[in-house]
Amino acid sequence: MNSVRTPVSFAEATPRERLRALVDDFVEFLDPFARVSSPHLAAHGLVAQRDDGVVVGRGRLAGSTVGAVAIDGRFLGGSIGEVGGAKIAATLEAAPGGALIAFDTGGIRLQEANLGILAIAEICDAIVALRARAPVVAVIAGRVGCYGGMSLAASLCSHIVMTEGARLGLNGPDVVEQEAGPDEMDARDRPAIWRLTGGARRVAQGHADALAPDDCAALAMAVRAAFGALSQHLERLSTTRLRASFDAALGGEP
Amino acid sequence: MTRGEHWVRTLLGDAAVAAADGVPSVRVADGTLDGAAWRAVAVVPNPVARFPRARGGELGLDEGLALADAVRGAPPDAAILAIVDVPGQAFGRREEAAGLQLALAAAVNAYATERRAGRPIFALVVGKAISGAFLAHGLQAGWIGALRDPGVEVHVMPAASVARVTRATPDEVARVATIVPATARDIVTFARFGAIDALFDVHDPLAPSSAERAAIVRALVDARERGLGTRAPRERLATDAARRTRAPALDVRDRIARAWQS
Repeated sequence: MNSVRTPVSFAEATPRERLRALVDDFVEFLDPFARVSSPHLAAHGLVAQRDDGVVVGRGRLAGSTVGAVAIDGRFLGGSIGEVGGAKIAATLEAAPGGALIAFDTGGIRLQEANLGILAIAEICDAIVALRARAPVVAVIAGRVGCYGGMSLAASLCSHIVMTEGARLGLNGPDVVEQEAGPDEMDARDRPAIWRLTGGARRVAQGHADALAPDDCAALAMAVRAAFGALSQHLERLSTTRLRASFDAALGGEP
Repeated sequence: MTRGEHWVRTLLGDAAVAAADGVPSVRVADGTLDGAAWRAVAVVPNPVARFPRARGGELGLDEGLALADAVRGAPPDAAILAIVDVPGQAFGRREEAAGLQLALAAAVNAYATERRAGRPIFALVVGKAISGAFLAHGLQAGWIGALRDPGVEVHVMPAASVARVTRATPDEVARVATIVPATARDIVTFARFGAIDALFDVHDPLAPSSAERAAIVRALVDARERGLGTRAPRERLATDAARRTRAPALDVRDRIARAWQS
């Protein structure tokens, strides 16, 4: 009898399960027993979480010791505040052989506004610095997707792996609808949103590099392939190429 | 004339100011301060911009790319001065479909890689510094100055949007800001996080006196001579101000640095 492996959904996995699936020998830094949580949420009437919604540590990928980061999209929309942001930046800054970042985030945490934006500026710089000497692989495969300031961080990574069910953009559909009105974007029109910003489209555009199914083993393979790839040209950030694609965007809907 | 355009002209002279190639909403000025070369860059409104959601000075698709090119294409010996007066990023369907995150990431990438390659990067906040627009234009600078003025505002969302999202009254938003200073919008509170290297008093941001201008030029020239334009964003945590106001971040960073060594 052939053994047909049942897919294990990455989107349904917890952040720690996600990291254990994607890197070998994951060791967490500042685990929940360290009780590192946000001191800013009580004033907003919110309950803090003992990892601030960000899991970080070290792991191994293709023989290298890498920084491993997973953002918990289930805690305040995967938002980045002072503590979670510092966890990510510090993990990337000292990572010896590259990094793996599993994004599942709406961006800056509104309740910690300006401390969040400072942390994301540090994260962006840490990615640029690390990327120059080792691969930094982004995985966007969670329910929230990757939005706000963290979409800039993801776009700076060496490689981006996405699933079809994940989305990547600067402003989420709710934000666009709220700021520009329902005629600009209908946040309830889910098929249209995925058609515009989902993983399949982002890979077709060259905004992300690889599409994988929502399965832990398949994503782990895609991460290994990305980590071993020699190409570090970051074509996606070429202004010449982007300008041509933005000119085309004026022509109408994709 | 907006604050951004005004301060480019004030610092480097009317004659130096030009539109970025094909993008009138990005102003670029090459000139000298105290004999050394500088390039100032600002984003300004363009009521006829081809992308309608970016006509009010927001960072849109064209603006992000023009900033990236202006930073990368600066004369080799020039320091960059980002004049910050940005109400936010463009909110639009076409922007999201085309990949606005990449336009802004291209600007972040240009500022960070140029700084890491040794080019001094400075920012002067003269108006609004909101959200992704500030991340893409200003926050990668090694040194940031700001006007101490009520029209200078740092936040992650326009004030009206915060009210809509949180359903809080302006009074409630103000009360929370006294408990959680990170949610305040004024520059004096933001400066307490150690991210602002100098605050400048001007009686009128649209008509600074020659003495007020001279004080800013002196600070920029001095900061450049001291090599402060190439500092990484994380060095802001080494300030006395940050030690007082960002203790949770410093504690986390310290413990993770030790975890890496063990």
